[in-house]
Amino acid sequence: MENNSNKKVEKIMESLAGLHKAGAPDFFYTRLLARMQKETGPDKRSFFLLRPAFITAALSIVFIINIFSLTQLNKQTTTKATVHTNKSATIESFAKAYDMNTESVYE
Amino acid sequence: MTEQELLFALRNGDEPAFKELVIRFQDKVFNTALGLLQQHTEAEDIAQEVFIQVYRSIKQFKGDSLLSTWIYRITVTKSLDHLRSKKRKKRFGFLISLVGNDNRPVYEPEDFNHPGVQQENKENASLLFKMIDQLPENQRTAFILNKVEELSYREIAGILNTTESAVDSLLQRAKLNLRKKLNELPP
Repeated sequence: MENNSNKKVEKIMESLAGLHKAGAPDFFYTRLLARMQKETGPDKRSFFLLRPAFITAALSIVFIINIFSLTQLNKQTTTKATVHTNKSATIESFAKAYDMNTESVYE
Repeated sequence: MTEQELLFALRNGDEPAFKELVIRFQDKVFNTALGLLQQHTEAEDIAQEVFIQVYRSIKQFKGDSLLSTWIYRITVTKSLDHLRSKKRKKRFGFLISLVGNDNRPVYEPEDFNHPGVQQENKENASLLFKMIDQLPENQRTAFILNKVEELSYREIAGILNTTESAVDSLLQRAKLNLRKKLNELPP
């Protein structure tokens, strides 16, 4: 029984004896060239830059950034002006409170 | 055209030289890839990738080994990479089938029949290829290069970047493992 099984295993192990090598399929070179031309053709990755959806989205982002910068700039100018007015008012009131007004000397 | 002349022409981007290279090596590359992948379409796809890689990196080939050794090495690397990625996809597919309620049957590859096997050995060879598929990568590669591509121990050692005694050891272990797996099969 074991002998039979061993014989069967050896027969399977020897089944590749006399094997003929497989040849590449017909028109292998033609298909290879076609694939190479396809792969080295114009870069597909840069095509998305020309798509209308991409252009619209990019322009919208630029527009939003512009609006945001303008509003921020306006806000900053107003705040600066307020700070400047407050600052001068404080100095004047301080001078008044301690009688440091230099104008009084010449009056 | 000698190998040196072919290399010189290839490095200068000569198209007829590239055609000559493909014609010279296409059967070797395809047969090796077919033995490792056990699938005709995938073997052709990998064989094409091998030649594209050769075309792109021929300038980096320093000539430390034979051109054939270098091409065989690319073939083995690409085939094994493909098998690894296929295994990863299979594992991922299995996980998806566990999580999802997708009732599609899990894809089981058909038995592989090498076109060069003699008619009376077809059934046994198909079973042997199934067992070869379960061998560790280095044993499988050594076995395929020796039995399917009929390369010598020295050539295999050059491709696998190892010694001839290491190749002998790999082949002995491959045969031992195959016998063990075949003995475990139900009668």
